[in-house]
Amino acid sequence: MKNGAQRFGLRARVSAAFAVGAALLSAALAVVTFVLVDHYLLARQLQSAAHETFADARVVHRDLLQGGPVLGEVLSSLTAPEGTSAYLYQDGVWYSGALAFGYGPHISRPQGVPRALVKLVEAGQPARQRVMVQDRPAVTVGVPLNSVHADFFEVYSLEQLSRTLELLGWVLLGCAAATSAGGLVLGRWASGRLVRPLKDVADVAAAIAGGQLERRLPSGGGRELALLSASFNEMVGALEERIKRDARFASDVSHELRSPLTTIQAGIEVLQSTEAGLPADGRRALGLLAAEVARFSAMVQDLLEMSRYDAGAASLDLEELALDELVSSTVAAYTAGAVPVLVAPGARGLWVQADRRRLQRVLVNLLDNASAHAGGAVAVRVDRIGGPGATGEAEVVVEDAGPGVAPSERAAIFERFYRGAAAGRRGANTGTGLGLSLVAEHVKAHGGTVEVADRPGGGARFVVRLPISPPAPSRDARNRPAPPQRTPATPAAAGSTLSTTPDQAVKGAPALTSPHPLQDSALTGNRPPP
Amino acid sequence: MTSVLLIEDDAHIRASLGMLLRRDGYRVSEAASGEEGLDTFASESPDIVLVDLLLPGMDGFEVTRELRRSSNVPVIVVSARTGTDDIVLGLEAGADDYLTKPVMPHELPARIRALVRRAQLSAERGTTLCLGDLEIQPQAGLVKKAGTPVSLTRTELRLLCELASQPGWVLSRPQLLERVWGYDYFGDTRLVDVHIGRLRSKVEEDPSNPEVIVTVRGIGYKLVPPP
Repeated sequence: MKNGAQRFGLRARVSAAFAVGAALLSAALAVVTFVLVDHYLLARQLQSAAHETFADARVVHRDLLQGGPVLGEVLSSLTAPEGTSAYLYQDGVWYSGALAFGYGPHISRPQGVPRALVKLVEAGQPARQRVMVQDRPAVTVGVPLNSVHADFFEVYSLEQLSRTLELLGWVLLGCAAATSAGGLVLGRWASGRLVRPLKDVADVAAAIAGGQLERRLPSGGGRELALLSASFNEMVGALEERIKRDARFASDVSHELRSPLTTIQAGIEVLQSTEAGLPADGRRALGLLAAEVARFSAMVQDLLEMSRYDAGAASLDLEELALDELVSSTVAAYTAGAVPVLVAPGARGLWVQADRRRLQRVLVNLLDNASAHAGGAVAVRVDRIGGPGATGEAEVVVEDAGPGVAPSERAAIFERFYRGAAAGRRGANTGTGLGLSLVAEHVKAHGGTVEVADRPGGGARFVVRLPISPPAPSRDARNRPAPPQRTPATPAAAGSTLSTTPDQAVKGAPALTSPHPLQDSALTGNRPPP
Repeated sequence: MTSVLLIEDDAHIRASLGMLLRRDGYRVSEAASGEEGLDTFASESPDIVLVDLLLPGMDGFEVTRELRRSSNVPVIVVSARTGTDDIVLGLEAGADDYLTKPVMPHELPARIRALVRRAQLSAERGTTLCLGDLEIQPQAGLVKKAGTPVSLTRTELRLLCELASQPGWVLSRPQLLERVWGYDYFGDTRLVDVHIGRLRSKVEEDPSNPEVIVTVRGIGYKLVPPP
């Protein structure tokens, strides 16, 4: 079960904590502010209400003593602010200065003057009480006018105040919300800064795992981070050193084997020319020796090539190659025309940026693999997949009609020295065990992929995909390779190419003047005779 | 009888390769160091020199450069390292061809045969060709540029003759490898590139901006006929 730490990232959690913290803090601040302001404003309002009531009460008291005008007129003459009503209670009768109430006298107690307050004032005690008048807040102040046996009340609306407080409340809420959002942003920023070094570590670790052993973390960024990057870099350095040492060891061993191998091979060659004088057993032993030394030699070459990849020292000798021509010529030259090359119409004149030698090794190793495990390749196809321009991929397919490769073995056969279920079935094993691994390495170095699938109708098909390079300029007729001038080409070489382009044969028809391929194609020593 | 000078510090390799060459009918002189090799070369003037690149003291590159200073003798360098710059450096020092260890027993005689044949072929065939201010006399092994003789190795001469035999036509690298070096399709095309570079330095006005031997991108080289 996943816990919260995994469900939400560190960044999300830090951001959330910041936001919640900011929200709590700002809410508390807002509440305190609101309460203080509310108290202060209300107190002031009540105080001024009391002051005014007393002032008005003095006016009313004086008028009553002088027996002046009618009570209602006295009350309405009071210069009361908006929303204020004045009432006089005398002998159980109410008088008012408010039009809405009518000037009186009235029996009924006016709204806004609670009974409790009246009782308190009647007892000779000035008092005030907060009330609701028509659902609006107000404060009523009562003053006893003892000498005239009357009580004076004024009802002050607190609506202005409550509106102000309401506005303040909204403003404070808005501020709290903004602060929370600010906290979230701050949290994201801070956690981003905090997490960035972790992301750097992850990126660099991924790059190192991907083979870029020279990548390191930048130093600096605070004491704690410097410590982290220093120990990380130290670890990677030790790892790199070790990987390089392993690769160098493989390379050194292979190098050291080459001089004695030269001597052994030359010795065997000289012995073979005196073979006729040897007894039958000796001849047989010599034959076995020669075969195994040839295989050993090829293995040393392959190991060297592999160790170059392992040490990251393999550099491609890139040139622009017409893939269809290269495949046709290589297959024709290597199999003496026994394997047809089918070039799809879309794949004619397909150019790739490639290392000629390595691409040839890819083909040769695939053909060798087909010979060793499936009785030889039956066809090689060149095709183009994907869109036009330089966006597509070139596809080279080597097909055989053998037993095929079981799905469970399809990834494993590209591993070094892999011996599959079919191993040993075909008599003596003549391969180096590195052929397909080198195919994979060569293709990967070219930015391509290789995989094995079933061939329709039985057998295996090895599919190599390579990126296409943009078209090279100047490919007019004059710039085609010259036709062979003399007659060195083996008749099979050009003839076997089942390309439908008539000009295909003109393009660099291969020739086999020497029966021995360059030793760089290391497997040639084991190749079955064509 | 063709004579071969073998400069190699490993006594076993020297002995076994010497045995192999003698069996094939070559006269073989052996030298264990670069200095000794140059002395032997001066006294015996062999037809072909085979030199290991990794020698104690004077290394194979220096030996090759020293040989080139005074002679056009065909030189094959032997490298213990494939796929490195060693080979290109050896070729740039003036070697005609290279072998890598372990030397395949059938490969060594084949390389030597190809070199010998190269010498014979250029002597046999061809009439004098004139291309602009370049005059090629294959039968005399002579090339003149604006009347001045140019010193070419046999390999360079053969390369020039091949390009000149079909002026204006592009020759692909594999074609040149096969025609000049006698390699089959699986030869190393760096041989062609390095030798083209050396040829250009001798026949071009401005080797970095060639006008006679032109690269055709993605295909190979062609000799541009003069207007």
